[in-house]
Amino acid sequence: MKLNQIRSLLISCLLLLLAAAPVQAELVVVVNARCGVAAMSRNEVINIFFGRNRQFFNGVQAQPVDMVDAHPDRARFYHALVGKDLADINAYWSRQVFSGRQQLPPKMQTSEDVMKWIVSQPGGIGFVELAKADARVRVVYEFKP
Amino acid sequence: MGCGNTSKPGLTNRVFSCLAGALLICFGQYSLADEQPAFTLQGFGTLGAARTTSNEVEFVRDLSQPRGASQTWDARVDSVLGLQANWQINPQLEAVAQLVSRYRYDRTFTPEFSWAYLKYEPSPNLSLRVGRLGTEFFMMSDSRLVGYSFLTVRPPGDFFWSLPFYNIDGADAALTLPLGDHLLRGNLFYGISNGQIPLAKKQWNIDGSVMAGGYLEYHAGAWLLRASYANLRFEHDLPVHDVLQNYMSEPLVTQAAAYLATGNTRSHYYSLGAIYDSGPWQLQLMLNHCDQGSNAFESSDAGYVLAGYRIASVTPFVGYSWASSETRGNALNPVVAAIMADAHVDQKTTMIGARWDLVHNMALKAQWDAIRGEPTSIFPYRQESAGWSGKMDVFSLTMDFVF
Repeated sequence: MKLNQIRSLLISCLLLLLAAAPVQAELVVVVNARCGVAAMSRNEVINIFFGRNRQFFNGVQAQPVDMVDAHPDRARFYHALVGKDLADINAYWSRQVFSGRQQLPPKMQTSEDVMKWIVSQPGGIGFVELAKADARVRVVYEFKP
Repeated sequence: MGCGNTSKPGLTNRVFSCLAGALLICFGQYSLADEQPAFTLQGFGTLGAARTTSNEVEFVRDLSQPRGASQTWDARVDSVLGLQANWQINPQLEAVAQLVSRYRYDRTFTPEFSWAYLKYEPSPNLSLRVGRLGTEFFMMSDSRLVGYSFLTVRPPGDFFWSLPFYNIDGADAALTLPLGDHLLRGNLFYGISNGQIPLAKKQWNIDGSVMAGGYLEYHAGAWLLRASYANLRFEHDLPVHDVLQNYMSEPLVTQAAAYLATGNTRSHYYSLGAIYDSGPWQLQLMLNHCDQGSNAFESSDAGYVLAGYRIASVTPFVGYSWASSETRGNALNPVVAAIMADAHVDQKTTMIGARWDLVHNMALKAQWDAIRGEPTSIFPYRQESAGWSGKMDVFSLTMDFVF
């Protein structure tokens, strides 16, 4: 093959890869549909997921659920929410845990587990892709593009 | 007098060690499996090495360390290993024990229970703890040993070295009040301090000293503002009686000892802090003022500013800190004056460094501290000699991890 041919082959491979890469679905914050919360501000979401506030405005105890570091949604979520890398988030939690302030929320492997948790806890709150948010949960926060 | 009290642990110490030990051992068998484990075991640590450009003083992390780094690399200053067990007894009640090994007052790495408490949360935003607790004397002082949790190699020295107190046996209460999407948090603590502070070849026993205080914190988006106050009533006098006796005779010794008494004197600690933490930025400003009740110590002011900006997995940072104390002036005689001069600090430090989060749950840090002070600035150091210029550079490397 000539150099030109190799180059055009590489370029078409690259284009194929780009086309095949899934468009990243939008992440949303969802709560148990029966917890009585309809919408939240970004700061309220941050306060809950960083364990600073443990109650919704209506007094229901918030029970956040997180995901394992290996799941790509976790990095995407915190990047969209506070613009921080997972290392920053984990550093934050190491201070919380080792100063005895609070324990980490449970960390799930899959979005299905996240949904199960939210549905099983009266104050369950977590993040999933919009397409996975069914009638059992309510979307309370969307990231504006 | 608490003269030369050795490493004999106090009664509370032993009780807590037993309790915490039992907790660690008994519930070790329960462990994991469930989605929500009732028992968790976690740890943190730092492997560090530091050296300075001066052999005239030894650099320590804070006054709880009897010896420190000079011109050769020294691993004692920053290395630490901690292990923490949490047992969630029920949704409201949790038992926590933390065992920490670090270079301490008796020149060993003997592990100690730094935390051992029961936490009760009657409602989601109210927490009550009783047992052995780390104190948030100044902002973040309760996690000073967890290198992975902060940006710098160690908490800025000029601000923190004067705090050799790590925990109390007592209780605290914290309440969080949401105000719109901002938060107000208040904390009150009361307890008996425990431990020893090394002083030359001796140890100053701070066991039994009553410590009380609290803070108010305001969280508004990326901003955190905080004001705190604490006071400490020392139980024992400094172990200076022998020194006085070597250089003076009665009745001057008694007179001087009374003048330098720390027992039953009170120190007040005030601090203000502001943190901005958003996206790649981390900015901190902290100020403190210590008002010392005893003639043996000098009241002081200290502060620091720190700015870090993350670029991919590396966060370079720069900071500036300062500490200065007020000389009390007229002493009775040269010996007393010499002892009082030991408590003087007057210096400024510029720090430059970087944190590199190279793999999951592990960070490497490198830092250069340029300390520029007066030759009289000796309180923060150990083994100072006459040639001390007040100026030196400190180079530090650490590997911090959590597991």
